[in-house]
Amino acid sequence: MNRREAAGAPDSPPAAVRAVGIVKSFAGVQALRGVDLELAEGELHGLVGENGAGKSTLAKIISGAYAADEGTVYARGTELASGNPHAHADAGIAMVYQEPKLVPELTAAENVFLGKTIRRGPFVARREMARRLRDVAATVGIDVDPEAKAADLSLAKQRMLDVIRGLDSGAQVLIMDEPSAALGPVERGSLYRTIERLRSAHVTILFISHDLDEVFRLCDRITVMREGSIVATRPTADWTKNALVEAMLGREFVVPKRHRTDAPVEASPILRVEGLTVPGALERVDFELRSGEVLGIAGLIGSGRSTLLRALAGAEPKASGLLLLEGREIAWPSTVRAALRHGIAFAPEDRRRYGLVLGLSGASNVALTNPAAVSKALLLQGRKLVEYAAGVMTPLGFDSRRLKVEAAFLSGGNQQKLVVGRTLGRQPKILLLDEPTAGIDIGAKADMFTIIDRLASDGLSVLFASSELEEVVEVSDRILVLGRGRSLGLLEGESCTVRTILELAFGVEREADAA
Amino acid sequence: MSEPSLDVAPEGTRRWDALRAVRPGAAALRSYGIELVRTYGIVVAFAILVAAVASQNSVFVSRDNLLNISSQWAPAGVMAAGLTFVLIAGGIDLSIAANFNLCAVLAAAIGQHNDPGIAFLAALGLGTGIGLVNALIVTITGIDSFIATLGVSFALASISQILTGNVPYYVDREDFLSLGAGSWHTIPYAGMVMFGTFILLGIVLARGVYGQKIYAIGGNREASRLAGLRVQTLYGSTFVLTGFCCGLGGILSASQLGTAQYNIDPGILFDVVTMVVLGGTSLLGGYGAMWRTAIGWAFIASIGNAFNILNVNSSYQNLVKGLVLIGALAIDVYVRRLARAGKT
Repeated sequence: MNRREAAGAPDSPPAAVRAVGIVKSFAGVQALRGVDLELAEGELHGLVGENGAGKSTLAKIISGAYAADEGTVYARGTELASGNPHAHADAGIAMVYQEPKLVPELTAAENVFLGKTIRRGPFVARREMARRLRDVAATVGIDVDPEAKAADLSLAKQRMLDVIRGLDSGAQVLIMDEPSAALGPVERGSLYRTIERLRSAHVTILFISHDLDEVFRLCDRITVMREGSIVATRPTADWTKNALVEAMLGREFVVPKRHRTDAPVEASPILRVEGLTVPGALERVDFELRSGEVLGIAGLIGSGRSTLLRALAGAEPKASGLLLLEGREIAWPSTVRAALRHGIAFAPEDRRRYGLVLGLSGASNVALTNPAAVSKALLLQGRKLVEYAAGVMTPLGFDSRRLKVEAAFLSGGNQQKLVVGRTLGRQPKILLLDEPTAGIDIGAKADMFTIIDRLASDGLSVLFASSELEEVVEVSDRILVLGRGRSLGLLEGESCTVRTILELAFGVEREADAA
Repeated sequence: MSEPSLDVAPEGTRRWDALRAVRPGAAALRSYGIELVRTYGIVVAFAILVAAVASQNSVFVSRDNLLNISSQWAPAGVMAAGLTFVLIAGGIDLSIAANFNLCAVLAAAIGQHNDPGIAFLAALGLGTGIGLVNALIVTITGIDSFIATLGVSFALASISQILTGNVPYYVDREDFLSLGAGSWHTIPYAGMVMFGTFILLGIVLARGVYGQKIYAIGGNREASRLAGLRVQTLYGSTFVLTGFCCGLGGILSASQLGTAQYNIDPGILFDVVTMVVLGGTSLLGGYGAMWRTAIGWAFIASIGNAFNILNVNSSYQNLVKGLVLIGALAIDVYVRRLARAGKT
């Protein structure tokens, strides 16, 4: 390997990782425009920025997954071969991916030692692998059953397998790309504890996240990126949340406050649900949805948040219960079409998986629920399609020129707007939003809150489910808290706080642990 | 609702024009390049094939020969048009050859002593019915279409053998043979039926609401279900459509040959699947087009015809087709890998 002293102050110890002048273009468009980043030995370094700012590209260049067009990565003063993942791994750099790359049918141990299976003669040394996994896991306080199937592990633990794998091969630098995305509060807690332990073990961590609270809580220093460049790197104490957001956006960000209507509570709710049961997921849940309100659905992972929305949307054929729509009892919708006919529209979670057909244009995705509006004699009308889609999407602040672009090439925020906008085309009375702000940048989140607020003001009744408790509190008029498939309580007015939600949610956790 | 903005890309612009209309992101530019290769790769390859064969023997591009190809390869083309729907919806139908064969046998058997109209309608009905059986198996039991249609294929082949007892049915009624052998101003009816099928189904696929829904369920079945599409009905319907096309192919074949027996064309399954896939329609669903299948048809038909014209030992024919198929798919996979690497 080409050894060479890195530039820098002669008497300071070499940084754990030092990236100098990194430039990277994709098909002529610059994703990184000359980036310098230094990770001090043993520090927890936060990296924040809007989607498309270049965070993940930079991370992949540091981990060796991509080759830089220009610039160099040094590990402890040693230059690393660009775009050679093995050289970077040998230098002790490991990456924890946002989506754990696991073989679901293999055990935890088999996944961790994938490609370097420990053998005894021709046999797989199961016990030896399990022992080594436990040893490594214990040093950072992770509790994983080596024999458990990867698919049966929680998301947080699946992610931990990447960490263990990295540590086992002697990694001293971990790059974590949004490790907390899609984790519930409990799982996040265990992730944070692991990160603290890693810090005590002097592992250097580059921590990429959209969640500014956790960045503030965990990191020693924070670097902000915008449009392929570094805006600033400062110790955490020198940042404020507002300063961070301003640096990310390049402008001031005002958190939109949900304007709550003071209208008197109507005598009859638009929707009343009694004894909603979905075998294995929900048990006798009752609630009411009032006209023009946003009812938040809060709960930990596995609480049944998504199932509740899916049941109302007609996507859970086994759902049963009493459903009163505007005072009239109706049969529980067993298909999405049936729910749509009743004016119940659904924007599912995980837009890439459940929301969009990525190969179709944005306009086609919008029209999917309402082909009659864009066709004549069973043939699609190009003009009608674009007009219909633009009519639905422009009020949501969606640039209508992008409607003809394949959904796969839109940003997360724009994809999410398509999923929400599509439901509005058939003038629904009730809107079910599942995780509408997951993994979108802060500007798009603000747009989404404004949209929800306006829809509710226009008289639409919204069910809003999110794993971000702060958001649920911010957006909702009232909050239904779920836990293990049961209703734990309904919060109203002053009691709508993250604290009360957590108290309710954890009450059940303690109870179940004691049992 | 506010007025739609005026700077919408004008109607008729192609996908890459729309991409250029927005700020040219890395992904958009890449997709432009990849779209070019995926779109014109097969066209260029086809042009080279035609030029190469024509340079050896100019009869290849003569009007008579081209009309002859269109007639001779009409049954395969009609079936490929139907199969395109199944593939885009995310399935596969391996029973097409056996279905086609049984329909040809039925048409010939009835056509021996009856009005050809009755024979043809019976064969179309049989083909459609077999398609419906396929549809019910894959949608109700949830068995993967690859296995389900393979099983149906074995059963149908066996039934053909039992019915014919290895003895061909001969039909010598003039009216029965006119569909396959007849022509209008030298343009063969069979070729017209095939091109008509390509055009009609091409419009349904590219412009129809039905076609749009087929793309949607093939591209993301769960998302389509949650958007309110009747996913199972739509998926099943592609098998019914393909079954109908097999019936049509069977009629054309029986009428062209004036005979039908067990195992009319042992290579037709491979030919038809190759036509669709070679054109660039994805085996994974969600991507493809009828014009692609038409080019795939022209490609395979030309190879077959070239072997005759150039007097090459026909034993080499399937070797060449196999290599062409693997080569085309390898290029497609490679290009798509480039596309993925480009996404940030």
